[in-house]
This record gives sequence, structure tokens and C-alpha cells, in this order.
Amino acid sequence: MGETAAKWLRLAIREALLISVVATILGFAYAALSQKGIFSVHSPSPMLLTSDAGLSPEMIQIEEAQELFGSGTAVFIDTREEWDYRAGHIKGAVNIPLVEFDARIDSLKDLPGDKVLITYCDGTECSSSIEFANRLYSTGISNVKIFFGGWEEWKSSQLPVETSAP
Amino acid sequence: MEVQSASCGNVRAMKTLIRNRYFILALRVLLGLAFVVGSLEKIVDPDAFGFSISNYRIFPAFIIPVPATILPWMELLCGLSILFGVLLRGSSLMVATMLVVFTLAVLSAMLRGLDITCGCFTNDPAAAAIGWGKVAENTGLLCTSLLLLYSGEGPLSLEHYLRRRTGEGTALPM
Repeated sequence: MGETAAKWLRLAIREALLISVVATILGFAYAALSQKGIFSVHSPSPMLLTSDAGLSPEMIQIEEAQELFGSGTAVFIDTREEWDYRAGHIKGAVNIPLVEFDARIDSLKDLPGDKVLITYCDGTECSSSIEFANRLYSTGISNVKIFFGGWEEWKSSQLPVETSAP
Repeated sequence: MEVQSASCGNVRAMKTLIRNRYFILALRVLLGLAFVVGSLEKIVDPDAFGFSISNYRIFPAFIIPVPATILPWMELLCGLSILFGVLLRGSSLMVATMLVVFTLAVLSAMLRGLDITCGCFTNDPAAAAIGWGKVAENTGLLCTSLLLLYSGEGPLSLEHYLRRRTGEGTALPM
């Protein structure tokens, strides 16, 4: 029984090595051909951005978000899907789902430099607000903050909201 | 006496079940599809998957592109291999290893209090966060992969079919 098991294990390891080699080749080939991931045309590649402090935009609490909202110097960016945005969003917020970042980034660069961009998504359970802000930061836009409490906290604090017609 | 024969009966029943070709096929479809479907979104968007990996705070940033590029393809190939029953023991071994590593990563993130999305089946940042549910799910998949590692691909498989066509010996020309 031990000998058969050893034979099967050796076979399994050989098969696993074959699969690993093919997967590695396919992975790098696909990335190179589609210019994604490590061969991404963005520099640095978006996947190298993490939420380390100091490297990325600041996270703000609800009080500061409210203050910036009231002062009129902020543009809130809702990074959720369109149907979530339409159902309800921070008053005056624009909807740019994370997946549309590349398509819409140019429009953001046209915004006046004195405006603070504040990203948010549902709340602490989602990270699209962080990733969106990191990507903004990497394109050279530094006046970015992240309202991590997001839609949930804004709504439960009964702050100004609105909905959109489809 | 009675207890002894009952437990022997249970073990025998289990062994019969594992050798049942339809049971093996069912396990292969379950595990194979899970990995094929889970890999697709990560293949299409390696940047987002790289971000999911970075959330776990395990790797230094510069190394993340490597697993982000290779891992989804490993999952896809293993999933297909398990589904069709080719190189089954190799892919089951890889899947078992990956699941152990993933589960340890999830547990480690939970211990450090990281409230992050799993990045298991989808890159969507709004998807389910990590937690004991994920651990249970991974453990179930791990058990399935270990059962398949033990049982082999069974007769309802591509490898068995090829073996019958070309004569005895494994499909692997090594």
C-alpha cells in the first residue's frame, strides 16, 4: 500500500510540474500579448499600488467629509456600479465605477486643481474607493482623499443624498 | 461485537462510494467547475487580482505581479484537467496545495484583523469579505481534492478513454 501510494505521489508531482510549467508560459504569454498586468502600459502597473500609509491618499472620517461637502471644495466620486449609484448617492457626487477608470480618467484631469476629489463606495466592506484613489494618485493627481465610511455611513448620518432617474 | 461490525460496515461503505464512478465524476465536476469559473475573472484582469493579493499584506509589492500573472492560469488548467479527468492526480495535488495556502492566507488576514474581500472567485471589491465562511468553503474544496487525489480520475474520464485507445500505461509519456 505504501509503495503504490509513493508511485502515485511521484506521478502526481510529475503531472503537477507539467501543469505548472504550461501555466507559467501561458500566463506570461497572455500578459505580454494583451499588455496587462506586469506588461501593463500604465507605469507603474496599477497592481503594484497598495494601501501603505504615506504612499497613497489619506483616508478621512465622516466629519471631515461633511465639512468638505459643506465648503463646496470637494467633488465626491462614487466608485460603485451604476445601479447602486442611481438608487442613492451623496448629493452632487459623480458616478465613475472602478471598472471605467481607464475610460474616464481624462475627464477627471480636466477638473480645476483647487477641488478635492473624495472617493467612496459602499463602506468598509469594499475597497474600490481605495483602489480608485490609488490609481488617481499614480496618474499624478494628488488632491485625493478616501471617505472610507462610504455610502452606508453617509446615509445613516442622515446627510444630503439624492437619486437619479435611469 | 456489534459496534465493531457497524464501524467496519461504514468504512466499507465509504470505500465503495469512493470507487463509484459517478461519485468521482460528481466530485470532478464540482471541483473542476469551481476552479475554472473562479479563474476567468482573474485572468481577464490581473491588475485587479494583484490588488486583491496586495490586500493580504503578505508579499512585498514588487513581487505581486508574479503570482497575479501565473496563479489564475494554474487554476484554469487545474480546473479543466480535473473536469476532463486528465493529469488528474497532478492537478488534484496542485489544487490541494493551493487551497491550503489560500486558507492559511485567509486565516492569517483574519488574525491580523484585515477586513478585506477574498479575491477568491471574483475581483469585485464589493464581494463577500473573508471570514469563517470562506475557511469552511475552502476546507470543503480541500477535502474534495484529497478524495480525488486518492481515487484517481475514474473510468468516466478523458485519460481513461485515451488509455483504452492507445493501450496500457498512463497518458503521460514519461
